[in-house]
Order: sequence, then structure tokens, then C-alpha cells
Amino acid sequence: MIIINKILNVDDYYFDVFMSISESLTGFSVNELQATGLAETYYTYILGHLDAATFVEFLTVSKNVFETSFTEDQLRNTIASEIMADPGMNDMAGKVVTMWYLGTWEGTYINDLSYKEGLVWNLMHAHPPGAKQPGFKSWSIKPVTTKS
Amino acid sequence: MSKTDNKKDVIIVGTGIAGSLIAKLLTDHVFDVEKGKMIHRADAKKSETIREISILMYEAGLEAGLELDSASSMTTYNEYMRTFYMQEAKVPNSPYPNLKQAPSPNVLDIEPIIPPFPDKKGYLVQFGPMPFASDAIRVGGGTTLHWLGTTPRMLPNDFRLTEKYGIEIDSPDSDQKTPINWPIDYNLLKPYYEMAEFEIGVSGDVSKQEYPISESMEQYYGDYVFPMEEIPQSYMDQKIIDGLTGTNVQLNFQTIPLLMVPSPQGRNSTPNPSYGKTRLIKAEALQSGYQLVLDRSEKEEYKALGAVWNPYMGERCEGNASCVPICPVQAKYNALKTLKKALYKMNDNENLQRNPYLEIKAQSVVYRLSVDENEAISKVHVRRYISKEKTDFVEEVIDTSDSIVILAANAFENPKILLNSKYTVIENGQKVEKIVANRSDQVGRNLMDHMVMLTWGLFPEPIYSYRGPGSTTNISSFRDGDFRSEFSAWISPLDNWGWSWPAFSPGSDVSEFLSEGLFGAALRDALTYRLSRQVLFHFEIEQLPNPNNRVTINDQYVDALGIPRPVVNYDLTDYEKRAMEQAKLASDQMFERLEIEDFTQYNASDNNTFVYNNVRYSYNGAGHIVGTHRMGFTPEDSVTNSYCKSWDHPNLYIVGAGNMTTLGTSNPTLTLSAFTIRSVESILTDLETQFKN
Repeated sequence: MIIINKILNVDDYYFDVFMSISESLTGFSVNELQATGLAETYYTYILGHLDAATFVEFLTVSKNVFETSFTEDQLRNTIASEIMADPGMNDMAGKVVTMWYLGTWEGTYINDLSYKEGLVWNLMHAHPPGAKQPGFKSWSIKPVTTKS
Repeated sequence: MSKTDNKKDVIIVGTGIAGSLIAKLLTDHVFDVEKGKMIHRADAKKSETIREISILMYEAGLEAGLELDSASSMTTYNEYMRTFYMQEAKVPNSPYPNLKQAPSPNVLDIEPIIPPFPDKKGYLVQFGPMPFASDAIRVGGGTTLHWLGTTPRMLPNDFRLTEKYGIEIDSPDSDQKTPINWPIDYNLLKPYYEMAEFEIGVSGDVSKQEYPISESMEQYYGDYVFPMEEIPQSYMDQKIIDGLTGTNVQLNFQTIPLLMVPSPQGRNSTPNPSYGKTRLIKAEALQSGYQLVLDRSEKEEYKALGAVWNPYMGERCEGNASCVPICPVQAKYNALKTLKKALYKMNDNENLQRNPYLEIKAQSVVYRLSVDENEAISKVHVRRYISKEKTDFVEEVIDTSDSIVILAANAFENPKILLNSKYTVIENGQKVEKIVANRSDQVGRNLMDHMVMLTWGLFPEPIYSYRGPGSTTNISSFRDGDFRSEFSAWISPLDNWGWSWPAFSPGSDVSEFLSEGLFGAALRDALTYRLSRQVLFHFEIEQLPNPNNRVTINDQYVDALGIPRPVVNYDLTDYEKRAMEQAKLASDQMFERLEIEDFTQYNASDNNTFVYNNVRYSYNGAGHIVGTHRMGFTPEDSVTNSYCKSWDHPNLYIVGAGNMTTLGTSNPTLTLSAFTIRSVESILTDLETQFKN
């Protein structure tokens, strides 16, 4: 734990980059991502499960993307060209999105909360089966569709 | 080897719904020594001399939680939930312990078979040529832990396919034809359906049930309401109903009007005030024997029964949308609820007290029965494993000469135990080797399941699937009709959970859009569009009994305890294949009418797939494993009589889904519960005789 915290402290900037690129890739705001309660868990999980250089490279590229983009359109185009079009970066981006959307990293749930906090269920105006039960009869009417 | 000396009146193998129902009903009755009759516990006066019925239940699954005390049952069940959250493939067996000492068939083990080599990957040894596609779980409470909970009754003609539609099947290893009528009919079973619906706790609206049968609904249900009000139909159901009500489907040679029916279900909703008071299932003594009745003399209102560890949890379905594989609050019925009523009885102070006459031995795998010179079952052989981790076991034998033995395991395990029980008798001076309960040679044969053909697509507007119980509406139109002389009947549940079954949505949709390079708002929008429009239609096709679809055993294939594994031979006939062709016709027409964009795909690489009239069809299992110890009219045509009693042995009952003569189009649990409840009449009669001697 101590070591992980140390990394977080030293690499605070990278954590912010991670959250920012997560926001751009998932389409969910940093605030919505934080609301899963799993942001730091995910960040440290990747640090622990990936060759550090690979993750640092992804974050460095991401950092550059933000530094060279001044509008939303620019940001989208730069992500498309620098990340999505690059096989290695694309793979990382896919894994990060999957983590936020489904709670899994390479097919494995991070912990028993990550399944419940998958964001994909919000997109379909539903909830993860077996958790966050909406209550009797809720399924018989049109769901709540506010965004956050 | 150890011998248990304290004699039990009844031995029950299995704590699933069949075993638990029998345990509950037997422990509700006591023997009035003066009258020489079985009476309900509620009618037993203190002063009377009564004798309790002592019962021993064996369970192959783990011991943890099976005493059903609050603390251990909650801990055990929460562990199932934690496992469920962590499992990548949330298949029906996923939350439950996968035991090497008592393995279970698992859908993840199914793969295509390349004859003559069997698929031995999982617990089943599958020779095919078609893989058997369904699973079950060996755990306290049995497979009701992961059943969906849909509880339609069978239709009158389901019990008389030969009489009504002229269908006969091959006799084992001969050219002779065998009729497939049941030894009981719908009317006879009707009161037991009501008892099963009471015990399970069925929610539904009788007045909205509509089936393609010649009987009126008045004749079919009588003056009746379900214990609880209807489970609300989903928003998706209503959109589909709006689009299909009043329209027809054109099958080959026949036009069939679409009937959209809210499904009766074994999950809690609001108790129906018209149902009124709770009931007692009570044995009434006849001249000889007993008749069970649904007694109405109770004063308490009917109440929804919640979780086994806390009755104040799960009194209503809360919309967890995870009925299969697990209901987190136990608003969905499972057999542990019935088992708890056997284990705990109300004492004089109206507190629940552990019933000392019922003992449950878990981690105990029954694998063989012995027979004495009177053809009575004299011994039950058990291997009891010591821990979850180790395969060390203790060999146990229990003397059952003066007991009634009830095999209440699933339709793989019951025949497996029987086929492993060989004995020798002297007939006309000759030694003859026999198999327990198998005079008819029907043990293990007629293995059946519903073939579930799925069709899926995108609805033209959002219908917000992935909400509510797995299915709340079914299309009942194809459940009966003259076409049954040509091809299978089927029931069509509308499935509420998007494409999760056929396509592993939403995970597959996320990876599909990612692989297209979508990210950010575009990814969100694509997923929202796709996932809120997903519809799944579902065609559960009746399979006829076939003597060559069978469970056998073979010394070559044993499990970690040295007990034979079920060896399965299985195939479809044109009767079922043609039904799939017709069901696809129906699906296409309904999709067109609803303007559903069809995404259905059947591939040659699917596990269960075939080509019929140059078109490929694929299907899944329904988990409806039945038929392997059918009931019938004579010792020659069946394994048991209509009371699930073996024709061949005076003290052996074989109960469960395996007794079903045919499958019909109903989910089988309600029907097996009904005839299992009825079997208690015969068991009580036998116990009376036993107690008088």
C-alpha cells in the first residue's frame, strides 16, 4: 500500500492525465468517472498489471495530445490519429475504455465492485444485473433518462 | 467403511425441489398411533400418542449453509453473490461451487462433437452426435437456485400426444412402437398444480391467461386465482404487444393468431387479496390411502416468503434482473425455502424450532443401491468427502430394509445411481443379473430438453431492455394445435435481457464499436442506440422422447470419487428440426411486422447447429433436463407408476423431472412439483403400513 501511494503521489500528474484521457475516450466526464469510486483503484491496477514503460508511453502520448489540442474538434482528431490509429495505443485505449465500461481488464473483473460500477449499464438506462436493483415494477415503465 | 445404526423411516437423496417438497410434506405429518393413520401436525393434539416420521436427506453439494440457520445461510448465499460478481462468464452455474467431488454439467464445457470421439471436457461424457446443451447444479436447493422461475402449467393435450395426435415412438432396441401418453391427465393433476403454486408462491393473473386449447379457461383453471398478483410486464413487452396483438402468423398450411400472455412466475409480487388466507397441504385419510388437499382453515393471510436467512428481505421482486443465475434477495423461489419449512417447525410459542426428526448429510454422494431377496432396497451406498478441497472420502452404507428410499436427484443423477446398482437374483435356478428399477429397460432413456432457438434484432425505437425479470410475457399460440402430428409445439417467451444470451451483450457491443475505432461521445451514442433497442425472441421447442437419447454409464469414465460419470447419447429428429424451421418462419413474420432489424446469425461453428431444408439453424439448451425415468402405465413401458414409485421394488421412489413422460411446452419445474406432491399420498400409505408392522 505504501509503495502504491508513493507512486500516486509522485505521479499525480500522470493520474490526472489518465483521468483526462479516460474522459475523452469514454465520453463520461471526470466527475462521472470519479463517481464510480474506482478511479484510483483502476489506475493502480494498471500500474501493477502492465509493464510500466507501456503505460508511461500511453500516458505520455496522451499528455502530448492534450498539449497540442486547443479545441474539442482538435482533441478528437488528435486522439483519432495519435491513439486510435496506432496499433499499440489503440490496444491500450480499448483496454481503458473496457475497464470503465465493463469493469474488466483482459477479461477479469478488477474486484467485486468493478462489475457493479460498469458504465455501460448507465448508457442503456439500466443497471448491472444482480446489483443496484431499481425496485418493483420499475421495468414496466420508460426509464429515467437524465444524463447524470 | 462405517455403518449408520440409527434407523430412519425415509431416506431422500437430493435437496432440490423434489426432495425438499417431499421432506416438507412428510415432516408436516405425524402418525397417530391410536387411529393408525397419518395426520397433519396441525391436527395432532398434545395428548395423542403420535409418532414422528424420521428422515435422512443426502446432498452431494457442500455442507456450508444447509442447516439454513440465519447466519450460515446468509454467509453462504453472499459468497455465491460475490462469486457471481467476479465471474467473467455469468452462466447459470457461475455463482455456485464447481466441485470436483460432485461435478455438474456446465454450459461452458459444451463443444461440438466429432464422432466417434466423445467430448469429455466437462462432467458429461458426450457421444452426441449432437451435444446435450443444458446444465444443472449439484448444490443444496438444487437447480432451482438458478432457474428463471417461469411456471406455466402443462396443457391437457400435452399429456396425450398419442391419443390426440397419433404420435408413437420406438421401443428400446425393437421395431415396436410405444405410445407416449402420460398415466395421469391434466384434470387429475389440477389440484396438485394448485398446491405447487401455493408452495412455490406463484404470481400471475388467471384472467389474462389465454391458450390455444379447446377447453375453456373456466375448465382449465376453474374458480381460481394465483397466490400473488401478476408480475408487471416489461416496457419492452408492451411495445411488442402493441405491435402484434390481433395479428396472425402464417405457418405452412396453417394460420395462427398471436396470443400474448403475461407469464405466471415463481417470484414474489403483492399477495392477491382474493387468494385470502394461507393454506395447508394436508393429507386426508381415505378408505385406504390418502389424498392431499389444500386446506383453507388457516387464519393467517397469505404472505410472500422472502429470503431464507431473513423473511423481511425479498418480499417483492426488486428488479435485480439476474434471476438466472441468482436472485440476490431470494424474491425468486428456490427449494431452500421449502427445505427450511421441513427443517424448522413452529413450537407451542409460535417460534421456529429445529425439527430433530430431519437430518441432512451433505458432501454425501449416493452412488449405488443394494437389493435384498425380496427385491427391497436394502442398502444405500454413499461416498462422503471430507472437505471442499480434497477428494478423500469415507465410504458409508446405510441399511434401508425397513425404510423408504426416495431418489430425488436430477435427471442425470437419478438414472446414474440406478444404472450403477446391479444385483443378481436366481430365477428358475438360473442366476440373472438385473439393474435396479430397470425391468422396462427405460432407465436413462428418453432424455429430453427444450431446444431454444433464439432470434434477435434491433427494435425501431428504444424499448429499454435489460430491465426486470428474465421474461414477463410469452406467446402461447404455438403451444398446441393439429400441427403437432407433424412437428413440435413451442412456447415463445419474450426475453427482457437484450442480446446477452446469444451475443454476450453488452460486452460484445463494446468490443465491436471499439474495433471500429469509436471513442468518446460517438462510442456512447452508438452503444446507447444499440443497447436500448435490443430485442430477443425465444422459441422453446418440445422434444419428443426417444429411447436412443440416453444416459448410460461406463467404467472407463469416472469422477474424482470413482463414481461413474453420465455418458450421453443425444440427437434431434426431423420432428424437432421442422418445428425450428416453422418457428423461424413465425419469427421472420413477427420481426417484419414490428420493423425489427434482424441480427440473428447461425454459424457452422455453433455448438448446437444443423442444416434442415438447406437452411442452418442453431439452438441452445433450456436447462429442462427430463424424461430419464419416465412414469407410465405398466412395468413394461416405464420406470415408475404415476406416484413415482418404482414398479420393481416395494420401497423405492424415483422423483423429479426424470418422471416426465413427455415435455410439453411448459418449463418443467411446476409440473414436476405437482406430481411430486402427489407422490406423497403413496409414500404416506406405505409409511402407514410400515408403522403398523
